[in-house]
Amino acid sequence: MTHSASLTQPGNDTDATTRSVILSALLALVLLASMGLSLSLGSFPTSFDQIAHALTAPQDSDIAFIVWELRLPRILLAVLVGAALAVAGAILQGIVRNPLASPDVIGITSGAAMAAVIFLALFGTGLSIHWLPASALLGAVFSALLVFLLAWKGGISPSRMVLVGIGLSAAMGAVTTLLIVISDDAAAMVAYVWLTGSLYAAQWQDVLGMLPWLLIAVPLCLTYARHMDAMALGDHVALGLGVNVLRSRLVLMACSVALAGAAVAFAGGLSFVGLIAPHIAARLVGRSFGRLVPASALVGALIVLYADLLGRVAFLPKDLPAGIFVSGVGAPFFVYLLHRSRKRLH
Amino acid sequence: MLNHRASRIAGLLLGLALVAAAFAASVMLGTTEIAPPTFVQALLHYDPARVAHIIIVTERLPRAVIAALVGASLAIAGALMQTMTRNPLASPGILGINAGAMFFVVIAVSLLPLHTPAEYVWAALLGALVAACLVVMLSRGRQGELSSLRVVLAGVAVTAMFVSFSQGLLIVDQQSFESVLYWLAGSVSGRELSVVVPLLPLFGIALLLCMLLVRHANALMLGDDMVKGLGMRAGTMKLLLGLVVILLAGSSVALAGMIGFVGLIVPHMARGLFGVDHRWLLPACALLGASLLLLADVASRFLMPPQDVPVGVMTALIGTPFFIYLARRKQAWP
Amino acid sequence: MKARARHRCQLLTVLLTFFIPLGAATADADDGRTVTNAFGDTHIPATTQRIVTLYQGATDSAVALGITPVGVVDSWLEKPMYRYLRDALDGVEHVGLETQPNLEKVAWLKPDLIVATRFRHERVRPLLEKIAPTVATDTVFDFKATLRLIAETTGREARARELLRNWDARVADFRQKIADTLGDAWPQKAAVVRFKSDHVRIYSTGFAGSILNELGFEQPNSLHDQGWGMKLTSEENIPVMNADVVFVLLEPNDPAIMRNYRHWTSHPLWKRLDAVQDERVFEVNAVDWIMGGGILAANAMLDDLYTHYGLDDPHAPTTSAAACADETSSRSRVHDEESSAC
Repeated sequence: MTHSASLTQPGNDTDATTRSVILSALLALVLLASMGLSLSLGSFPTSFDQIAHALTAPQDSDIAFIVWELRLPRILLAVLVGAALAVAGAILQGIVRNPLASPDVIGITSGAAMAAVIFLALFGTGLSIHWLPASALLGAVFSALLVFLLAWKGGISPSRMVLVGIGLSAAMGAVTTLLIVISDDAAAMVAYVWLTGSLYAAQWQDVLGMLPWLLIAVPLCLTYARHMDAMALGDHVALGLGVNVLRSRLVLMACSVALAGAAVAFAGGLSFVGLIAPHIAARLVGRSFGRLVPASALVGALIVLYADLLGRVAFLPKDLPAGIFVSGVGAPFFVYLLHRSRKRLH
Repeated sequence: MLNHRASRIAGLLLGLALVAAAFAASVMLGTTEIAPPTFVQALLHYDPARVAHIIIVTERLPRAVIAALVGASLAIAGALMQTMTRNPLASPGILGINAGAMFFVVIAVSLLPLHTPAEYVWAALLGALVAACLVVMLSRGRQGELSSLRVVLAGVAVTAMFVSFSQGLLIVDQQSFESVLYWLAGSVSGRELSVVVPLLPLFGIALLLCMLLVRHANALMLGDDMVKGLGMRAGTMKLLLGLVVILLAGSSVALAGMIGFVGLIVPHMARGLFGVDHRWLLPACALLGASLLLLADVASRFLMPPQDVPVGVMTALIGTPFFIYLARRKQAWP
Repeated sequence: MKARARHRCQLLTVLLTFFIPLGAATADADDGRTVTNAFGDTHIPATTQRIVTLYQGATDSAVALGITPVGVVDSWLEKPMYRYLRDALDGVEHVGLETQPNLEKVAWLKPDLIVATRFRHERVRPLLEKIAPTVATDTVFDFKATLRLIAETTGREARARELLRNWDARVADFRQKIADTLGDAWPQKAAVVRFKSDHVRIYSTGFAGSILNELGFEQPNSLHDQGWGMKLTSEENIPVMNADVVFVLLEPNDPAIMRNYRHWTSHPLWKRLDAVQDERVFEVNAVDWIMGGGILAANAMLDDLYTHYGLDDPHAPTTSAAACADETSSRSRVHDEESSAC
C-alpha cells in the first residue's frame, strides 16, 4: 500500500511550503502557550503570577518546589516524549509505506513493555527502580534487532519486516500479559499503569535522559528527507534516483527505534501517539518528509502534553496516566480529520 | 502451498483430524489425567459421584467446545477482514470489535453489578456491535462508499478511544481490574456450556452468510468493481461480510475475552498453505484456528502448573514461531 | 545502631526537660536525630507533628501509636478508609493511592515527616526527600518494622515497646494454648485463600503468612517456592489448596465473589480437602488479614484465630484500643466473625 508523496506541480510547491512553515510556526506557538497553561494547573490552583514568580525568583516562592520539581519536569518530558514518538511513527510509516505502521506494530513498544514488566515483576524488590528506563530501552533495542534479524533475507522488505514485527509483538505482548496476570494486585496494577503510559513522578534526570535522543536522532533523520521522499515512490524509483535504499532504511530505522525506545523507556506504553500524530501532521503540511517531521513532533508534543494535563487535573485528587487520554485527545481529532478529508482520501 | 484440488482436500481432511486430536487432548490432559474410556463413559453413562465425570462435563468439555468454536470463528473473521481491507495487518480487532467489547464489559463490571462471564457476555456483544457500527459510520465516504484504508484508520481510532476509556475505568477501580483480568488476557475456562448456547444462533447465521458469500469474497480481493460482475455492489458486499465478521468475532470475544492473535495470524498460515481462494481458505482457517486454540488451551495447563496460563497468551507463544517462519518463506501477501 | 539512637533520644528528652527552664544554652544539642532506614540515614527534626503515611501499614501503626497523620493514602478496600480506622482518621486528607501518591498534595500539606516504603516509593524518593525528611521500610507487610520506625521517628518508642510486648505475650499464649488443645495435631498446615469473581488466590508469604508463621502454623506442601502466592482458575486444581485448616478471605458485599465461592465449595474435590473434612474452614475478614498491614490489624487477626479455635483470650479486647484512646474516640470496628453477618 503506497502513499503518493505530495509532489505537486512546481507552482504549488512553494505555496505548500510557505503554508506548512506558517502552520508549523503556529503549532510551535500553541505548544509554548500550552506549556504555560499546563504549568499553572495542578492539584491546587496557582495563578500565572505565582508561576512567573516561581520561575524567576524560586528562592522566595512558596510553590517553587511544585513548579520546578513536579510540574516543569513532567511537562518537559511530556513534550519530549510526544515529539519523539511522533517522529518515530512518521519515519516508520514512511519506510513501511503502510499507514498503520507505528512503533507498536514493529515490535519496539512490546519489547520495551516486556522488559519493563519483567523488571517490575521479577527484580522490583532487588534492583533499584532507577534501572527501569534502561531495561525498557534495552528491551526496545533487543526486539528491534530481533525483528531485523528475523526479517533479513538478503535484504529488508518492508512488508516482511512488518509481518515479523507483528508476530514478535504478539509474542512479547503475551509474555507481558502473563506476568501481569500472575502478579499480585499492586504489582499488576503498577505494570498496567506503566503499559498504559504514564508520566507520573517525572524528574529532571528523566528529562535530561530523554533530551539527547531527540537532539541526535531528529536532525539525523532529517538529513535523509530527500531519500525518504524518493523511497515513498517505490524502491525502484528511489534506486533510479541514486538513493542507497538499504543504508537509508537502516539509518532511519535506527533513528526510529532510538526515539521510540527512549520515549517508551521513560513514559511507558504511550505509543499510540506514534500512529496518529504523523497522520494529523500530514493533513496539515503534507507528506513531504522534511515538513512532516517537525510538524509531527509538534503535534505529538501537544497531544501528550494535553493528555498528561487532563490526567493531572481532570479527576482530582486522582492522578490518572496520560496514556488514557492520549487516545481520548488524539483519536477524536484524528477522526475529525478523517471526516474532513472524505473527498480527498480514497 | 497446496495447488491441486486433491492435495487441498487431503489438507482439509488432515486439518479435521488435527482438530479431532486436539479436542481429544483438551478433554483428556490436565492436572487430572483422564483416560479415553472414562471420557466415553462420562458422555454415555454420566455418574455424578465420580469426580472424573464431573471434571469432564463441567470443565473439560465446555473448555474444548468453546476453544474450538472461538478459534474457528476468529480465524474466519480474520481472513475476511484481511480480504475486505486488502491489508495484511488487518484483524477483527481493527474494526474496533475487541475494544468495544472490552469497554462495555468494563462498564458492566465496574458500574453495573455484572461480574461473571455469563452476565457480561451480552454487554460484550453489544459493545462489539456499537464499535463496529461506529467504525462503519466514520469511514463512509461522500458517496457512501467504504474505502478499505478509511475503515482501517477509523477502526484504529475507535479502538484507541475505547481502550483508553476502559483503561481509565480499570486503573481507577482496582476491584474491576481484578475481575476482568483473566477475560482481558483471554480465557476459555470457567465457562459452562450454558453460556455458549444462547450465542449459537449468531454463530450459525454468520456461518451461513459466509458460505453464501464465498465467491463474492474471492472477487472482492481482486478489486471493488470485480464484485459487480457477480451482481452485487461492493459496498453492500462489504457490509454483509462486515456483519459476518462482527457476529463471529463479537460472539467470540464475548465468550472468551481478548484472544487477538488468532484472527491476525491464522489466515496468513492458511493462505500460505491453501492459497487465496476463499472456498478453501475459509474452511482451512476454521480448522487451523480451532486446532490452534485447542492446543493452546492444553499447553496452557502445563506451562506453570497448577496455575492456568491465559489461553490468549499461549496462542501468541505457540503461533509466533510458525508465523515468522511463514513470513520469511515467501511474500505473504500476493 | 537503633538502640544508640533511642538512648540518645531519651537523654535528649531528659536534658531538655530539665535544662530549658533554666534558660540553658544547650542549643548545641542536635535539632533532631538521624534514623537509619531503608532510605539510608535520614535526619529528622526533634518533634514531628505533621506526618504523611504513604502505605496502609504505616497508617495503621500511626493510629496505634496515637498519632493523627495530616495525610494518608487510600485504603485498598472499604474506600476511602477502612472502617476500623475511620474514626481515628476523621477529617484527615487523602493523598491518593499507595502505589501513586499525589506529590503535589503531599507538598501542599507541608509535612515534617513522610513515612514511605522502599518497595513502592523508591522511584519518587528524590521528590519525597525534597518535600520533607522521609523514612522508609523495606517491605509493606513487616508490621513490627513499621511500628518501630514510626515510633523512633516520632519519639513514641515507649508506646511501641508496650504494644510489641503485648503482642509477644499474645503470641506466646496462643502457641501454648493451641499446642495444648490440639496435641499431636499441632502444628497445622494453614492455607490462606481469597476468592475473587473468576478465580481463587492462595497466599504464601505476606502479612497473614508471616503472622501465621510466627504463631507456629506451617505452609501447605504445594506452596513452597511460589513467591507471593498463586491464582487458580480451574476447580480441578482444588487439591492444591489442601491443608489442615483453610482461612477464607471474603468480601461479603460482592455478590459475584460470593457466588464464585459457593460454586467452588460445592465441588466434590472441595469436600475432600482435609480442612473441610475436619471442619476447619474459617471465613475471615480480608481487611484484617491482608490489607491493614499494621499492628491493629495483626491483633484483630489474632482475635479471629482465638475465636475460631475456641481458645481463651486473656488479652481481649485488644490493647491497641487503649493506645488509641488518648488521641481518638473509641474505635469503631466491626468484628467480622461470621461472614454471613456482613
